[in-house]
Amino acid sequence: MMLSSILVLLITNPAEMLNEMIGASTSALELCIELCAVYVVWLGFIELVDASGLSQKLAKLLRPLIKKIFKVDNEETQKIIALNISANMLGVGNAATPMGIRAMQALDDQSGKANFAMIMLLVINATSIQLLPTTVIGLRSTAGSANPSDIILPTLIVTFTTTILGIILCHSIEKIRKKIKGRKRE
Amino acid sequence: MSAYILPILFLLLILYCMYKRINTYDNFVKGAKGAIKLVVDIFPFIASILIAVALLRVSGITAWLTDILSPIFTFLGVPPELTELVLLRPFTGSGSYALLEDILTTYGADSYISRCACVIMGCSETIFYVATVYFSQTKVKKLLYAIPVALFCSIIGTILACLLCRVM
Repeated sequence: MMLSSILVLLITNPAEMLNEMIGASTSALELCIELCAVYVVWLGFIELVDASGLSQKLAKLLRPLIKKIFKVDNEETQKIIALNISANMLGVGNAATPMGIRAMQALDDQSGKANFAMIMLLVINATSIQLLPTTVIGLRSTAGSANPSDIILPTLIVTFTTTILGIILCHSIEKIRKKIKGRKRE
Repeated sequence: MSAYILPILFLLLILYCMYKRINTYDNFVKGAKGAIKLVVDIFPFIASILIAVALLRVSGITAWLTDILSPIFTFLGVPPELTELVLLRPFTGSGSYALLEDILTTYGADSYISRCACVIMGCSETIFYVATVYFSQTKVKKLLYAIPVALFCSIIGTILACLLCRVM
């Protein structure tokens, strides 16, 4: 991707390349400073949720679902996944990120390949199972919408459909992969 | 309404911690300590993906792709005005939100195009960014079918969003 962009830039606009790259990494740095501030709040919050035993309760509530969707048995990992999904549902993606990273680390089997649970976690995060799209509603009301929250219902319908589609797709692909592997062994 | 959810959540949590006799301050600090290390760990990955996106835009490849993909999107029922948003969304959150603000002011907050854009933003994620950051602290090099499935779902979501906005 970077190679093709640079090749095209050589023809169209060679002088701008370095400027653009440094500009982008500057905005990455700004983003990271902002993220750091956000993570301080959310990691502190999550530590409290954890210390008070609420995360165990949440995990217990979501355990049957997580077990079925992710096929994960480790209780600690189930807890982190439960926190990641809850943060996504609340629409605080920035609180979900640290939990997502931790969950991926816990699921890592050092094989160099993503396993089923990891892929599932990414797909579920990618289809964004949020209940309240707060940022979008905020932007709409700033732009002078008469009824900024009338997009909630369609958003919910789409989110649920794509999340379920993603779960079904991952499970069927996994089944096909297992079949192929089984055949190879025979 | 939705503005009350987070403050109430924080309040309830602190009350619950007091009830459980847990030191809120110490635990909050303990958790917050992890923030800087986390950001330092993921910074190079975020920078790389933002650089790649910036190069794509300035080289004109994005504009070129937008031109090619617009007719396909129109065929699928997605207004061509949204092609750039749909293209940019998997890569950058801040970039696509800036674009959404643009769309809202250009076409008016209650127009069909703006409503589609809002639903698309609400039900999609920055797939490449999330994948880069989530997997950055693991040994995983091969993502297998993760990205194709995620992208496929968000394309279906985009089409469905534009369809629903017509009737709802």
